[in-house]
Amino acid sequence: MNGIHDCGGMDGLGPIDREIDEPVFHNDWERKMFGVFILTIVGGLFNDDEFRQSRERLEPVKYLQFSYYRQWLLAVQRLLVEKDVLSMEEIEERMKDLAKEDG
Amino acid sequence: MSALSREEALRLVGTGATTRVDDPASGPQYAVGDRVVTRNPNPPTHTRLPRYVRCKTGTIHKVHGVFALPDSNAVGAGRNEQGCYSVRFDSEELWGPQGQVGDCLFIDMWDDYLDPA
Repeated sequence: MNGIHDCGGMDGLGPIDREIDEPVFHNDWERKMFGVFILTIVGGLFNDDEFRQSRERLEPVKYLQFSYYRQWLLAVQRLLVEKDVLSMEEIEERMKDLAKEDG
Repeated sequence: MSALSREEALRLVGTGATTRVDDPASGPQYAVGDRVVTRNPNPPTHTRLPRYVRCKTGTIHKVHGVFALPDSNAVGAGRNEQGCYSVRFDSEELWGPQGQVGDCLFIDMWDDYLDPA
């Protein structure tokens, strides 16, 4: 796929910011996201090549702006919906419930 | 696709995933030192052949063994197991006049990406 991820040789992207003493996870939700990913792979819902392809299918602007684990979240979500494991309606319902709990 | 066994799951978390075939029926097509030229596929789906390495000539640097082809594995078209190599490309071959003499890049390539040069 000739997508935004294939940026080798592109000019104008600026220097790579390297974080000193970068932690494995910046937030607890990223740790959970890693766990969700491992469980979906272990459960045989999709393979890692499908997962990479799902990330690559993010819209280019999102791919460039979203953090690494946010890309993971959207990639996993897309695959689970495409494979009829979850529906977008179920996901949206659950998000509404969680928002109420937080509120 | 089926769920992983406990043993496979522990290996995945401990050392990462691999699609390596330990005892392949047929070995890789190319050997160290072979000159190869990359093909020019432009699939709308996953590939590990970057755009800037298409139609470029390189040299087999290392034979990794036989692995599933990510391109087919990503679209549910089977593992399509085949040779995988580290291929050396000179900087000037990739970047023309902007290439740095003496610099090179090593990129992993599957049989389906290559023809003999």
